[in-house]
Amino acid sequence: MEKASIDFAVGLNAYETFEEIVDKCVEAERLGLDYVWIGDSPPHLYCPSVAAAVASRTKKIRIGLGLLSPLLHTPDQILGSIFSLTEVFGDRFEICLGVGDRSQLLRVGVDAKLLRAWDHVLKAKRKIARSLRASGVSTKIWLGAQGPKMLAAAKSFDGVLMNYASPRMIKWAIDKIKPVTQKDFDFGIYAPSYVYRKWRPQAYRLLRIASAVVALGAPAAVLDEFGLGKRLQGAIEEHEAGLRIESVVRHVSAEVVDNFSIYTPSSKLRSYLRELGDLGISHMVFGFPQNLSKITIRDLASALR
Amino acid sequence: MAIQFSKLAERGSLNCIWIGEDLNAQQEIFTVAGIIMLETSNVNVGIEVTSPLARNISTIARAAATLSQIGRGRFRLGLDAARPNALMRDATTLLRRIWRGETVTFTSDNFRLSNYYARYKPSFATPIYFGVRDQKLLELAGETADGVILSGPRRYIEKAVAIVDQGLRKRKRRGKSFRFVARVPTVIVDKKSDLKLAREAVATVLAETPEAVLEMAGIAQEMVKPIKALIAEKGVNEASRIVAEDLLQEVAIYGSPEAVALDLRSLEKYGIDEAIFGSPYGREPAKAIREMAEAWRRLV
Repeated sequence: MEKASIDFAVGLNAYETFEEIVDKCVEAERLGLDYVWIGDSPPHLYCPSVAAAVASRTKKIRIGLGLLSPLLHTPDQILGSIFSLTEVFGDRFEICLGVGDRSQLLRVGVDAKLLRAWDHVLKAKRKIARSLRASGVSTKIWLGAQGPKMLAAAKSFDGVLMNYASPRMIKWAIDKIKPVTQKDFDFGIYAPSYVYRKWRPQAYRLLRIASAVVALGAPAAVLDEFGLGKRLQGAIEEHEAGLRIESVVRHVSAEVVDNFSIYTPSSKLRSYLRELGDLGISHMVFGFPQNLSKITIRDLASALR
Repeated sequence: MAIQFSKLAERGSLNCIWIGEDLNAQQEIFTVAGIIMLETSNVNVGIEVTSPLARNISTIARAAATLSQIGRGRFRLGLDAARPNALMRDATTLLRRIWRGETVTFTSDNFRLSNYYARYKPSFATPIYFGVRDQKLLELAGETADGVILSGPRRYIEKAVAIVDQGLRKRKRRGKSFRFVARVPTVIVDKKSDLKLAREAVATVLAETPEAVLEMAGIAQEMVKPIKALIAEKGVNEASRIVAEDLLQEVAIYGSPEAVALDLRSLEKYGIDEAIFGSPYGREPAKAIREMAEAWRRLV
């Protein structure tokens, strides 16, 4: 596996059964991936318990929890999970904090706009980091970020996970953060992904949906910076009107998909990785639908070899 | 500690490990319960108890659903809120609707869901236990919950069962899989000085027991006030010295492992289906749990 200076991960969305998730993580470890990330969102299974199940069935693969939203989990609850997991399974865990998907939060009665969401995230980070330090636990804390405000806050974290994939957007973000970050700060991306050996229409359809979800949740400042705002206007209006994402996605162009996803035949992945490596990316999470099956995970691992 | 003791409990053929939520401890109760599920294979695991307001109700629903999946139906969810009935009733209804896969829109003072649905599929039912003491909530437990966790002096437990029964009768549910659970401070006594531990536990419990519960148990406030005052002034160690023998017997179970097992079983006479061997266990908790589990296995 190409290992230079980038860690590779597959992201798992916890809407399957925990057994299916665990099986995929076991496969990811067998294939030599460095990390698995277990997602956390209101309609999904509970990430810390799924992470425990994954840790109990794997030996050394590192396990990321998140994105964990402090609007749903208090700092003490997040800390409690880290302490319990680390005590039993050792130092294999990292977390990613962020506001979370605002539309999903609204469905469970949490209005991120009213709650000064960023204050929550930053306060949670400070409290968690302080308690971890005091307890001698060295869990890395990532920030899940997209827009300029979030990126500006990234300097107080150990690393940032951005959920866009185009080198142009990544460079823009890194240029914003790099001057103010410490030397050992990590830049990572966590994007919808489909790296394939044999193209499958179902996976591509899901990639478009996943990319549309990310694009529609992107801050206006980011969309405007890259001239995507106007192109997404129709989709944004339909999305805000409550139409199902499967319907909205027809307004999302292939260019938008390209910006927010890793979509490539396995033979071309290496050149993309070189480009990101040159930009300073050290952590890559291949998100949904790369996790669709063990086959799609194997396709990814084979492309990374 | 809960994780450490879980295998002991399973080896001892105990029925369930109930985990209390300690907000000051460096642990997260659903994570701990998940780890215990993974470390054991037969014993039930319950959370005793969490507030429906400690997390978003959707988070409680998915955390419980995850544990039910991991434990293949071994998980039990204990809920408690010292609030009016509406909160507990709403929480129970919402959890069940989410687990049934409904798209839920609901607004109240405490909960707000809008077109929310779970994308996970709960493969096993999660029984909901109310860990409540208030009389109205006890009755509500009978009406709506799958079980109740009672804690308090024996006479209180006896009366509380009768109140829950009233709720069960309203729904015509008595005898239909509803479970009465009682948690009792328990101490394995190896030598006479171990009784001090039992007295300390009783002093602590009495100081925290609501007046209404004491009244139901026929324990006069005058008996408890000096204990509370002494705890505040000089600590539980000093207060334990004035815990009278009858209070000790009314509130705690203590003695040899065999005596404790028999005493826990005697709660059957009040209608209790399951007795929790509650803290502080004994001078050496691990040893006490092991001895108690062995005594229980011999008894049953």
